Amino acid sequence: MARLVPSWTRLDKQQERDVRELIRRVSGLQDEADPNFQLALNFAWSNFRFHRFLDVNSHKVEKTIEGIYEKFIIHSDLSKAASWKKLTEEFLNSSLPSIKEIKTDAHYSILSLLLCLSDSPSNSNYVETPREKEVEKKDDFDWGKYLMEGEEIDLGPNVDTPNWSEDSEEEDAQQPLSREDSGIQVDRTPLEEQDQNRNLGPRVSWKDEPDGRSWLEQHVVHQYWTARPSRIPHSLHLHSNLAAVWDQHLYSSDPLYVPDDRVFVTETQVIRETLWLLSGVKKLFIFQLIDGKVTVRNNIIVTHLTHNCLRSVLEQIAAYGQVVFRLQEFIDEVMGHSSESPLPGSGSIPKKSAEAPFRTYQAFMWALYKYFISFKKELTEIEKCIINNDTTITLAIVVDKLSPRLAQLKVLHKVFSTGVAEVPPDTRNVVRASHLLNTLYKAILEYDNVGEASEQTVSLLFSLWVETVRPYLQTVDEWIVHGHLWDSAREFIIQRNKNVPVNHRDFWYATYTLYSVSEKTENEEKMNDNASASSGSDQGPSSRQHTMVSFLKPVLKQIIMAGKSMQLLKNLRCAESTACQVAARDADRKSLYTLFLESVQSRLRRGEDSTPQVLTDQQATKENLIKMQSIAERHLELDDIHDPLLAINFARLYLEQSDFHEKFSGGDICVDRSSESVTCQTFELTLRSCLYPHIDKQYLDCCGNLMQTLKKDYRLVEYLQAMRNFFLMEGGDTMYDFYTSIFDKIREKETWQNVSFLNVQLQEAVGQRYPEDSSRLSISFENVDTAKKKLPVHTLDGLTLSYKVPWPVDIVISLECQKIYNQVFLLLLQIKWAKYSLDVLLFGELANTAEKPHLKESLLSEQDTVAQFGSQKEPVGQQIHRMFLLRVKLMHFVNSLHNYIMTRILHSTGLEFQHQVEEAKDLDQLIKIHYRYLSTIHDRCLLREKVSFVKEAIMKVLNLALMFAEGWQAGLGAWQMESIEKMESDFKNCHMFLVTILNKAVCRGSFPHLESLALSLMAGMEQS
Amino acid sequence: MGNGSGPGSLALAATNLNAVRETMDVNLEISRILNTGLDTETLSICVRLCEQGINPEALSSVIKELRKTTEALQAPENMTSYLETP
Repeated sequence: MARLVPSWTRLDKQQERDVRELIRRVSGLQDEADPNFQLALNFAWSNFRFHRFLDVNSHKVEKTIEGIYEKFIIHSDLSKAASWKKLTEEFLNSSLPSIKEIKTDAHYSILSLLLCLSDSPSNSNYVETPREKEVEKKDDFDWGKYLMEGEEIDLGPNVDTPNWSEDSEEEDAQQPLSREDSGIQVDRTPLEEQDQNRNLGPRVSWKDEPDGRSWLEQHVVHQYWTARPSRIPHSLHLHSNLAAVWDQHLYSSDPLYVPDDRVFVTETQVIRETLWLLSGVKKLFIFQLIDGKVTVRNNIIVTHLTHNCLRSVLEQIAAYGQVVFRLQEFIDEVMGHSSESPLPGSGSIPKKSAEAPFRTYQAFMWALYKYFISFKKELTEIEKCIINNDTTITLAIVVDKLSPRLAQLKVLHKVFSTGVAEVPPDTRNVVRASHLLNTLYKAILEYDNVGEASEQTVSLLFSLWVETVRPYLQTVDEWIVHGHLWDSAREFIIQRNKNVPVNHRDFWYATYTLYSVSEKTENEEKMNDNASASSGSDQGPSSRQHTMVSFLKPVLKQIIMAGKSMQLLKNLRCAESTACQVAARDADRKSLYTLFLESVQSRLRRGEDSTPQVLTDQQATKENLIKMQSIAERHLELDDIHDPLLAINFARLYLEQSDFHEKFSGGDICVDRSSESVTCQTFELTLRSCLYPHIDKQYLDCCGNLMQTLKKDYRLVEYLQAMRNFFLMEGGDTMYDFYTSIFDKIREKETWQNVSFLNVQLQEAVGQRYPEDSSRLSISFENVDTAKKKLPVHTLDGLTLSYKVPWPVDIVISLECQKIYNQVFLLLLQIKWAKYSLDVLLFGELANTAEKPHLKESLLSEQDTVAQFGSQKEPVGQQIHRMFLLRVKLMHFVNSLHNYIMTRILHSTGLEFQHQVEEAKDLDQLIKIHYRYLSTIHDRCLLREKVSFVKEAIMKVLNLALMFAEGWQAGLGAWQMESIEKMESDFKNCHMFLVTILNKAVCRGSFPHLESLALSLMAGMEQS
Repeated sequence: MGNGSGPGSLALAATNLNAVRETMDVNLEISRILNTGLDTETLSICVRLCEQGINPEALSSVIKELRKTTEALQAPENMTSYLETP
């Protein structure tokens, strides 16, 4: 339907507004966007514009009025009839709001409307209300008395200065009105109000005790909360009647203005309610608590302010009341006694969470609670002042007085809402706790950056933070001192994984989970702490910068290390059952939190007498600043610069540097370091100097202790040595016994792969010298792929040595480590085998086989073979010589390699490693050192993938050596010249290749340790 | 109340206002006798509309219709709540 409003003149606008208002009033639809409302509006307009009714007919209306009059008469409703006649006539003869004339169409139209709407007028009860009272009221004032007032001054019994209190007003009302001394302003109370007031008073008769009644009225607060519209007697001074004046103005400017029901209260009442609101009272009159929201009652008014003005002031206060209420609610919630009992009208039933709030929230609550206690004390002071009535207190004064507190409330609320209230309800405790701590921490840093401007705020937040952080520090303390992470509510960022027992080899890695909470996305990431602890927390990507509890971040690694070490240590000790003395020693130990508090206090009061307050510190800072400023100014004057601002900034810049004085004033002023207050960007410094050292100390203590225990009681070093002895063959004689027996078997082509044989050999070899290790060592053999087996070098592949490392040393020497050890072991075994094979060859053997036919030939001189040999006699000698040469070359090569690996690599790296093990501060470091050691030897033994071509060349040479030895043993008969030549050329190629490669590497300087190998190999080359 | 202590024009305006207020009071009384069910504000709106030439019968029919519809709208709610309670 099209909108039926054609043109928008002023009148039309007014009309449109009126129609809307009419619809609102009749239908009760308040929302203009409501489709029903629009429907009604359209309906109304279409009816107004396109109706089928005739215009108003005055005769018809008169007739109807007459008819109704008769009807009343017939019903013998004579009074009604009389009223009806009188009223209609009066109405027709009076002027309308915008029409001066009488008996116009408008008059009739209004009457016609009323007639149309009339609903059986004869059945309704009607009593005419007297309307003339207003007119009479005006004449009420006794001007004669007022003007005669001055004359009667002597006669009045009670003519002292006007009293503002209730009781004397009453008396005054009977007395002639009195003027104030100045004689300019009149202070009086109208009689009607007085009467009204009296009616409201208690109905008890006080006739016999008029004094008692006045006493009571004076001392008992008027029941303004009963919400009966009442007027409190007050001064009629113009300034204290602003509300009435304003009302009057509205009344006179708008004919249709209807004054609302207003409840008059006094400013004192408003102030007291304000104080009560701020101290957490929920059921108030002026402020209402509806659905957890504090609002101002609408119809409250004080006589000297307009309604809107008062309202705007009170609404500000209500906002703070809301904050107080919210925080109070949190406190109640955490305390457990949520406010179900006291107030049924409060309308808020805080949900009681199933589990008790965790300790960080409790601590935060406690901090808030302490703050509120001091706040309430201040409020009570003000209220006492009001009660005593000895100083002037207005609402503005109170608000002004409380303004620092209110600012603090604002800050508290901000922190609370971001730190606690905005966290989604199903968040885990660890996230909540760390989020709260982070919020506080960030808020401190934020305000700290502002500098002096927010010192109060910072000190408030700091105290809050110090309280809130207590559970965390206690958890940390418990963990790094006693070794158990006691965190029943699971709020600490590190949590114990339940399924890993302490005496498990995975303990060190899998026991704890570090929760890091990302600030931005509120997502929590879980990472096992071996990732964070062993790789160092500084490696995290930038997105994790605000993760976890920021203040612990710098020492997180230490905490984790210390905690884990301590737990391990405790378990080791438990095994030795020496726990009782630890408990005794703990009695006089100070907890981490106490230490922290002491440090903070001593830091804050450094250079002061004994007051640890920030305020005095701040003064000291200011004094210092002034001092510094003068110095700076003096120095600037030396350069002919006069700029006080520069001087101030200069001084501020150097305020933090304690050596500024010596530098700039030549050392004649004593050094005052008290400038290091909590503020001025030293918050992080405070932490650094007060908290971290304690953690660091404990970390060093228990990690050192653990290292000591591991090394001493658990013979960690011995085990490491054992690994080197057997796997890296440092125990040369033992291993020699072992491997020669195998090599012999292989040489004699007997089966050696039998596991029991291998183990017997191993036990025999080890048992002689290291009886305690023999039980731990075992060897196994598994068949690897046969394709490789064809080459003699790989015959040994599949031999695996294993060493049973007892707990807790297996944290360091893990199975992964043993794998690497085994790789090196195998390589060594191969080299040793080649070396052994070449070593055991006897020159005689070859010579014998060569000479045997020679002798036979000379002695027996027979057969064709002889002839054959005879013809080859010269080449045989040459052949033998060449084989000798080749053997020596091979031996040189293998020996160089052997030397290089055994001495240059294994031994020297081993020495370095030993040294580092001595130095290792914590277990993690030790593990890292061990790993680094292993990867170094792995690298240098050329076992890495990247240098596999070098290894292959070496393997080829070793293979050659083995084949050569085999051939040697088989005797000369098996040899052809070509095969010797081929071997020679193969060897030469490999040799050349290796020398070139190694030389290149050495020249590049990338592998300095290869130098010796390259040199010795080169030496072999040159000789050939 | 009624401190006509302003300049003359203002006093004049005040008397005029009083007259108008009188009229409105009379009007309200008539409305009460007739049992129209209009309150002060609604009545003053109606007066304004009539003054501006809205047909009174049209206006009355609109008001009646609106009242009826509002009742009809509220009735089902009451009904349903009535049904739910037992």
